[in-house]
Amino acid sequence: MSAKKSADPILELKGVGKSFGNVVALRDVDIAVFPGQVTCVLGDNGAGKSTLIKILSGVHKASEGEFLISGQKTEFNSPRDAMSKGIATVFQDLATVPLMSVWRNFFLGNEPKKWWKPLGILDTKFAKETAKAELLNMGIDLRDTNQAIGTLSGGERQAVAIARAVYFGANVLILDEPTSALGVRQSGIVLKYILAARERGVAVIFITHNPHHAFLVGDHFYLLNRGRMIASFVREKVQLDELIQAMAGGAELDTLTHEISVIRQD
Amino acid sequence: MSWKKFAALAAVSSLALAGCAATGGDTAAPAAGDNADIKICVYTHGDGGTFWSVAQAGAEAAAADLGVTLDYQGSTNDSAKQASTIEAGVAGGCSGIAASAPDAEAITDAMLAAAAAGIPTVTMNSGSSVFRDLGAFTHVGQDEIVAGREAGLRFNDLGATKILCPIQEAANSGLTDRCQGARETFTGEVIDFNIDGGLADLAGSAAKIQAALEADPAIDGIFALNADIATGAALVASDATGRNAIIGTVDMSADALTAIKDGKMAFAVDQQQYAQGYMSVVLLFLNITNAHELGGGLPIYTGPGFVTADNVDKVMELVAAGTR
Amino acid sequence: MTAVKTDERVQRISLFTKALRRPELGALIGALVIFTVFAVVDTTGQFAQLQGAAGWTKFAAPIGIVSIFVALLMIAGEFDLSSGVMVGSAGLLLGNLISEANMGVWPAILTTLVFAAFVGLANGYLVIKTGLPSFIVTLATFFVLKGMNLAVTKLITGTVRVDGVDTGEGFETARSWFATKIEFGGASFQVSVIWWIGFTIFATWLLTRTTFGNWIFASGGDPNAARNAGVPVARTKITLFVLTSVAAALVGCMTLLELRGMQAGQGIGQEFYYIIAAAVGGTLLTGGAGSAIGASIGAIIMGFAAIGIPYALWDQDWVSTFLGVILFLAVLVNTWLSKQAKGARK
Repeated sequence: MSAKKSADPILELKGVGKSFGNVVALRDVDIAVFPGQVTCVLGDNGAGKSTLIKILSGVHKASEGEFLISGQKTEFNSPRDAMSKGIATVFQDLATVPLMSVWRNFFLGNEPKKWWKPLGILDTKFAKETAKAELLNMGIDLRDTNQAIGTLSGGERQAVAIARAVYFGANVLILDEPTSALGVRQSGIVLKYILAARERGVAVIFITHNPHHAFLVGDHFYLLNRGRMIASFVREKVQLDELIQAMAGGAELDTLTHEISVIRQD
Repeated sequence: MSWKKFAALAAVSSLALAGCAATGGDTAAPAAGDNADIKICVYTHGDGGTFWSVAQAGAEAAAADLGVTLDYQGSTNDSAKQASTIEAGVAGGCSGIAASAPDAEAITDAMLAAAAAGIPTVTMNSGSSVFRDLGAFTHVGQDEIVAGREAGLRFNDLGATKILCPIQEAANSGLTDRCQGARETFTGEVIDFNIDGGLADLAGSAAKIQAALEADPAIDGIFALNADIATGAALVASDATGRNAIIGTVDMSADALTAIKDGKMAFAVDQQQYAQGYMSVVLLFLNITNAHELGGGLPIYTGPGFVTADNVDKVMELVAAGTR
Repeated sequence: MTAVKTDERVQRISLFTKALRRPELGALIGALVIFTVFAVVDTTGQFAQLQGAAGWTKFAAPIGIVSIFVALLMIAGEFDLSSGVMVGSAGLLLGNLISEANMGVWPAILTTLVFAAFVGLANGYLVIKTGLPSFIVTLATFFVLKGMNLAVTKLITGTVRVDGVDTGEGFETARSWFATKIEFGGASFQVSVIWWIGFTIFATWLLTRTTFGNWIFASGGDPNAARNAGVPVARTKITLFVLTSVAAALVGCMTLLELRGMQAGQGIGQEFYYIIAAAVGGTLLTGGAGSAIGASIGAIIMGFAAIGIPYALWDQDWVSTFLGVILFLAVLVNTWLSKQAKGARK
């Protein structure tokens, strides 16, 4: 599948860093994210991925560097700020409430109102119909949007969260380890929805520590290691095993392999 | 859950509840009295403790002796609940109603509604000064001020000079009345002392009384207003401080009488609540069957009686039987 | 783009189970069963009549009005243990304002409700700011109010109750709004029943048809997820604390107007009945699900017991056991229902 070429990045990080006290979580990070493309951020645990997400979603402010949206320098004071600029983040806990119905979850925090808006009366008919339709657009056919979202499988729940973000006008969709807790089949479902979002022109930032999944859907790949960006690849110019090798530590891994083989022979 | 399981659960629950009826019904209603169509309703503010269970026993005995049906309800000091119970009783076919009235205003409307419906009423245990306003034809019980006065005289005879009056139910004006009555006749000083909620926490009450005794070495007497407070708190505190205070109490319990017999407590004021329960039923019965209005417009006193070392043996037998 | 096939594991849900999932339906069936039991063992012949209804609605209404809002608060994941004593505080305050401060009855009622709103605000604010469980915070409020009820009443009136309120200006009109009797079909119903029905309708509408209601469910179901989704969790909870306190105060005012006075100990202990009514009605103790109608049904069940047990000439000591059994069964059923909702695998 060919990537839709878009001239300008919708979101850019230039030289971004974040410190907590004297602990440096991120240093000198450059990322460019384009609409209609999937940008993968790979890295092992402790690489700084969660700090990066928090900066992108507005939970933290960067300590240094620039954060540009459509070329404009921006600073977020809260996740709501980020949301209003079209950056939607699907955290690992999905921001869904298990006991509530699918349609209520779909419109959580963005409830559609009828009659006099300040009164806050729910337009339940609109909500139920729209939720069903939007999910169908993403390829999910739910018999009844009244069922509690907790009854859906993990992959389906992710799908609802993604469909929700796309519906509410996300230009940038950040997915935090969406497949990490899922089995193979469920992961497949999620990856298909990522592509569906990509088709709709959304810029997807896919954060994962699984290079196989990343390679299946990614257009750009960035590797994070100990708070720094150690490599960046474009899809056409990289192979899967290169990616895996780079993730596993590249030159460091070669040295380690050699040392261990020496020990084991004793 | 299949509907079968659900139906089974519902059936079991109903059976369980009906089972309560089988066992519970016996204590409230005699099997087949001659006058079973007469339902006497005794609605008190009581809590089912040692004091009120004796009053209830008295009412039940009278009902059994007369062959009437009895409905006894205690509202545990909740006047709103008592008022609603009386109203429900009026609708539920009470032939006569006896109510305790520590908070007369709260039950005024309900009692007057009973009177308006032609149901005779009496007050019992508390409300000796207000029964007329409630539409009752008499009151049966003990006047708390009178009881306090008599107790004050006793303390004089026993040579006390300064007595502590611990009040275990702050919202019960009857208790403050007893201390006030004592103040009127006692030659020394009577000190009101708050131990609200004391019955539920006797150890805590004992500690508080002990603290009061230690703070004031001049206190040589304690006028407890409840038998459990007397033995569980006042006596404990007195022993702990070595004060050997002169202790008198209101109402009795097996422990209190033992203490009197052993000389550790001086006296118990007996309001004879068994008779309060018993007489409430009798007075209403006589009114219903023979149009008697006893009392002559005045209260009928069941106390203060005094139990001292002189008569304690006889009374002890009866307390053990749950009738005094 | 290929459409995703429908999950073949989704079974046809039987209509019965679907209906049973509504938290109120379980409570309603329970109420019908209990009603039938009491109607059968009734010795007066009045329980199943309008007269009986007047009796059990009178008992149920003051519990129902507060338990509705306690249920909303529980759905949002919080408890208010000060709701019972607030009934007493409000009644005492209203009584003192009328008889000691010589305030007109209507301004006094307004002042009392505002006082309650402030207490609710304090409850909510402390819970949010300290992060302590609301059980603890409102327990503290309970003790503070309990002591104040006694101490302040004694300080002002010298006794442990307030009275002399019927001389206040506007007393009779206030009474006609809050504490009078309404004749219906030959029986006298307390007007509090009308208020109770009204609040039930209002709270149900609030819960199911407004954005605020959505926020209530979310705040209790998963406050983190809710916050991440942009729900103002703190504001929602604080609002509910205020509503609960004001509802309790309203009941306190009604009680004072009806009884023409109030004891300092009134209301203490009622908070557990509110929670029981809410739990029986399908509100989870862990939050996230529940119903205002259910809480009202829970209150009706208590009314049934309060009238049914004496009418059956049962020993009234069984009331507590009865309520305990009901609560136990209700919690069992509700836990099972919520497991279904969360998709527990067999």
